[in-house]
Amino acid sequence: MKARISWERIRDELAQVWNVAIKDIRVYYLQPPMIMFGLAMPFFLFFSFSVKRDIDAQSGIAQLLAMTVFFMASSAGPVIVPLERRSGTYDRLLAAPMSLASLLIGQTLVGAFFAFVASAVPLLIGVLFLDVTIAHVGFLLGGLLLASLAFSAFGMVFGSIPVQSVGNIMMPSTLIRWPLLFISGIFIPLGEMSPWARILSYISPLTYAQDVINIAVSGTGYLDPWLDLALLMVLIVVFLVPAALLHHRSRVLGY
Amino acid sequence: MNPAIEVHDLTKYYGSHLAVDHISFEVHPGEVFGFLGPNGAGKSTTQRMLTTLLEPTSGQIIIDGHDLARDSYPAKRVMGLVPEESNIYTELSAWDNLIFTARLYRVPADQRAARARELLEEFGLGEYQAVKVKSFSKGMRRRLSIAMAIIHQPSLLFLDEPVPGLDAQSARAIRSRLRLLKSTGTTIFLTTHDIEEANQLCDRVAIINSGRIAAIDTPEHLKAAFRKVQSVEISVEPSDQVKKDTLSKFNGVTQVIEAGDKWRLYTEDPSSLIPQIIHFCEDRGLRVLHLATLGPSLEDVFLEITGQEIGSIPLEDGDKNKRRGKKGGHK
Repeated sequence: MKARISWERIRDELAQVWNVAIKDIRVYYLQPPMIMFGLAMPFFLFFSFSVKRDIDAQSGIAQLLAMTVFFMASSAGPVIVPLERRSGTYDRLLAAPMSLASLLIGQTLVGAFFAFVASAVPLLIGVLFLDVTIAHVGFLLGGLLLASLAFSAFGMVFGSIPVQSVGNIMMPSTLIRWPLLFISGIFIPLGEMSPWARILSYISPLTYAQDVINIAVSGTGYLDPWLDLALLMVLIVVFLVPAALLHHRSRVLGY
Repeated sequence: MNPAIEVHDLTKYYGSHLAVDHISFEVHPGEVFGFLGPNGAGKSTTQRMLTTLLEPTSGQIIIDGHDLARDSYPAKRVMGLVPEESNIYTELSAWDNLIFTARLYRVPADQRAARARELLEEFGLGEYQAVKVKSFSKGMRRRLSIAMAIIHQPSLLFLDEPVPGLDAQSARAIRSRLRLLKSTGTTIFLTTHDIEEANQLCDRVAIINSGRIAAIDTPEHLKAAFRKVQSVEISVEPSDQVKKDTLSKFNGVTQVIEAGDKWRLYTEDPSSLIPQIIHFCEDRGLRVLHLATLGPSLEDVFLEITGQEIGSIPLEDGDKNKRRGKKGGHK
């Protein structure tokens, strides 16, 4: 007989999501890997690829926003989960009265929060110093929010790999995240890609974030912004499934 | 009343390695249950399965009437867990760690602060409540770890090696709290290498070896079943006149161990060994400083069951306290 789900249980699970998220935000906001991989790297990458290229401020800030959200959100899982596993604190969470879904959602919120806050840095730079204007504030906020959640869930897939070292996870995560930069319409807009490259771009979650951010900042994009938002929302759930399966695998292996 | 823990045919494979081999046992409510075994015997694997951290290969675990495989949530609510390594958020203060755990176990909001304050005082951490845990000593972390495990007043507490390696103050505070928990009816599942700890605290003890339960009983019953590992302990002066080889030649002696300034002679029949020792000392003009017969300790039982050699666990000064002397020493 399956356990019944009561309102009290749902309320408890939501409280656990909040509890885990707030604790992680307090514990990990100044972790060096988060600053390095999440905040510094997008800026280095942006300047590496934009120097001596003729990019207008609107497009440049849109690219920087997408990269910041992508790297910051997707770094949280691969940093936080192995650190907690190594220190033993993850056992405290796994043994606590909450479902795995609550734990994963709570940790996904952490990466999303960091990314959402970090996106203010390029946004303020653009608005205050480069006269960047925002064409659609609603799409920008919705896009940044959903992209942060989707990329954080994406990072949780790597964070759920049963290892105890941040380094062991960062390597595969970097190997997968970096190539996505080149097929997601960041440096080459979707409209200028060859048909086969565009098809390839559709497998990247970053494509939809960049497209909706382009629309929000510059007013022009390639896809329907509502489609971008809907796909980002679906991707949040899609990424949490392998994360849950990998957690189950860890429980079998004893990590 | 449901057993606090029911384990049926529990098995765990890591790949092809069989870590826990079809074990079954029950832990009664309010009982302090010791789980002893050498390294690699399957103690931690079993405890991790009982606390939902590890998926069993097969078998059934029922905690407080709830089958863990079907719904672990109600079982998790009644459990507290103190792992071997203190798992505390070092970037948070002692207070924040306690409040976080209280929230995690759904302690009512109006009780969290009072319980946290009470536990911090009890464990001697009151004045450090606002200090980040990264500056805490091992003993302080251990005390905080136990406080975190009991802030929700669990009816079942899992403890993995709670005391070894701690300073005297921390060890005393922890032992005192464990006795209090026992007196208030908390079921305690104690995984330990410290056999004397188990002897002092546990109502029953299970000895696991090579993934199988080798024995389960009260410490006294286990010791009674192993009378053959009785021993006679002597100390003489001048001590350099006595050699291990000489003592080994006494009739009925199965093994001789040097324990500090004493010798321990294992025998099934201490009463026939003592006259031999006295005669030996008189012949050589040796002064007997200490002579006592000792019943089998839980450590002896453990070593006997697990097939380890007696003396493979180092004996320390004061080790005689681990044994029940039948006769007082004399000079």
